[in-house]
Amino acid sequence: MAAISSGSTSQTDLTIKGTQAGLQRVGTLLVGPAILLVIAVNVLPAFVGFYSSLRRIFFFTDEGFVGLDNFVAIFSEASTYATIARSFVFTFGSLALAVPLALLVALAVRQLGRRGRLFLTMLLVPWAMSPIVVALLWKWILLPSPGGLLASTFIALGWSPVALLTDPSAAMPTIIVVGVWRNFAFAAIILTAGLGQIPNDLYKAAAVDGHSVWERFRRITLPLLAPSLLIVLCVLTISYFNEVQVIIGLTTGGPINATTTLAYQLYQTGFVELDQGRGNAIAVVMFLINLLLVIAYVRLLGGSKGDGK
Amino acid sequence: MTRSHNPSRRDAVRTALTAAIALPFINTKVGAQALSGTVRVWSFLSPEGQTPREKVLKTLVDAFRARHPAVTITIEPQPFQELETRFVAAAAQRRAPDLVWMRDTFLGLVHDRQGLANLDEVLTPEFKARAIPDMYSVFVEKSVFGGFRTSLPLWPSPAQSIFYRKDALGEIGLEAPPLNWDAFVDAAGKLTKGNRLGFGLPSNDNSVASLLNILSGFGPDAFDKTTGRIDLSGPMAAEAAGVVRRLVSNGALSRTLLNTMGDDIQDQFAAGRFAMAQAFTPRFDQFKRIAAGYDAKHLAVSAWPSFGTRPASVLLGPYWTIGMSAASTNKPAAAAFLESLYSPEASMLWAKEAGIVPDRKSVMTDPWFQTPAASMIQVFVSLLGAPGALTFPQRLPDVTRIFPVLNKAQQELMGTDEAIPAILARARSTLGW
Repeated sequence: MAAISSGSTSQTDLTIKGTQAGLQRVGTLLVGPAILLVIAVNVLPAFVGFYSSLRRIFFFTDEGFVGLDNFVAIFSEASTYATIARSFVFTFGSLALAVPLALLVALAVRQLGRRGRLFLTMLLVPWAMSPIVVALLWKWILLPSPGGLLASTFIALGWSPVALLTDPSAAMPTIIVVGVWRNFAFAAIILTAGLGQIPNDLYKAAAVDGHSVWERFRRITLPLLAPSLLIVLCVLTISYFNEVQVIIGLTTGGPINATTTLAYQLYQTGFVELDQGRGNAIAVVMFLINLLLVIAYVRLLGGSKGDGK
Repeated sequence: MTRSHNPSRRDAVRTALTAAIALPFINTKVGAQALSGTVRVWSFLSPEGQTPREKVLKTLVDAFRARHPAVTITIEPQPFQELETRFVAAAAQRRAPDLVWMRDTFLGLVHDRQGLANLDEVLTPEFKARAIPDMYSVFVEKSVFGGFRTSLPLWPSPAQSIFYRKDALGEIGLEAPPLNWDAFVDAAGKLTKGNRLGFGLPSNDNSVASLLNILSGFGPDAFDKTTGRIDLSGPMAAEAAGVVRRLVSNGALSRTLLNTMGDDIQDQFAAGRFAMAQAFTPRFDQFKRIAAGYDAKHLAVSAWPSFGTRPASVLLGPYWTIGMSAASTNKPAAAAFLESLYSPEASMLWAKEAGIVPDRKSVMTDPWFQTPAASMIQVFVSLLGAPGALTFPQRLPDVTRIFPVLNKAQQELMGTDEAIPAILARARSTLGW
């Protein structure tokens, strides 16, 4: 009986192991194509990009290995540092507007219920539009000529038209506003979902304890929203740091480089000047900066895990 | 989709011309029957488009199809600033089109990458004997690199010229812009009035730089004969830059209108923003059609002013050319279609429908060119033959960088008070010259 029992157990073990192995194979088969796709579409091009950054490639002709020359050339130009600084101004300027705005909208949506969700859907339209279409739309609005909507309105009101896209001091704030207009609703969706995860009981208990609205926001909402805020900050930072289509469509990096960010410099170097080796070197620099920013966010916000303790 | 359509006079003319284009080839039907397959063409024009040039291209494609039913012509529109790069990339991947529209300034780079066929090996002897000598040699010869004919120039015209409103100039007692920079700057300043600016210059294109057009007022000496470079630390560049500064100082150029492209200038000119503006000459008809802030009958075209007593400047480029892929698998049909674009009948169509100077000089004897409808073409032809007409060097160095770099310098000249030598020195340093 014992022998039978032992044999039965090992048989069962074998069956379980066989089933597990089979499930693993099925799992591998199911995930395999996706992994291959990610490798083909993301990983391999990244390696090719890094490899290309070490070569002199001009007008689609590979002229050979140049080591770190492309990077040296980038950092030898004084304008590169100003370009990096402008990237940070655009990125953090946009974040400084977009995140609070998204949070306000998310709070409003939570308060308004179904009407709030309809409101959020309407706000999402710019995010669903192609960035280049958004840029053209705003260009028509902001054109400084009598044909521009804003200029025409100003003239009708007896004011002088303003050159928001062509004045060096106004161009960067203008593209920040357009960038925020396009993206903040996406952040609002994530924050709305995050707010939905916070139990109402906590607010009720805090109200019973006599906490003000501001205290409830500071002690309950913000700590518990940290994971969502982390996602929003990471996604928007990468999005704004790499933003190029709105800049191409609105200002093409001008006037006088006032809106030339690293992303636009990459486009200009790689696709206009056709220096693809140096363009890839800029892409590698951008990747490293993005990586550092995300690591910084995770260290700053990731530790709280939203447990609110 | 079908739609009712009342044939207009233009449609009737187009139909008649299509028939006229097809007729001369009927006696070559035996040869025509040998052509078959598909010819892929990359152009910035779309056969579905509604601009005059797009309508003409469609008519020419239809006429070719009528003559060669076994040949399919596929026009694949591309962004005009990416035609050369896309072509080189496509050639490397063995998917290049049979024919491609290219700017003259890129020919050297594309030729060096061996993407183009030698047209002398594919064009018919008759075409080479009759058509090529009938074209403007200044354009034709620029496409030939050491005996290798890379392309054929299309639409001979002064590329960037000055469009002006006769009504605006009339306000200050002028019929046309002065052709000397000193006088031009004064006039442009006087033309600024209310929201209207005296002069409009694009300053953010990747293949056009107003500073080069101003520099062309020094004639061919503006370009180094050996290197093709301009001396950005020399007196000519400083004087050209000084012109921009003076135009800003007297209010002719806006201090804040800094990153406009040619299309922006076109739109704003239509809205009445400028009395004069730099414009792409083959778009003259388009400018007339979209005029809204002024009466289109007042639109006219001028050469560029010059420095000192030199003749008025006409910089013949960048302009369009058409080349054939070295890897084309249907060279006979591609060559036949290419030749059809340069037939005398096609030249007449480009002229009548799109207001473009005919590629074939001989058609200028047609009585139509003496009519008022052709008056602007006569002006363009006179500009082409002007003593100050010149092209860019065959190999313009750093052609992918020079225009953006000079445009940034122009923006700095317009929008800052920085010293001219410092701005030009920075541009020179950026180019590594």
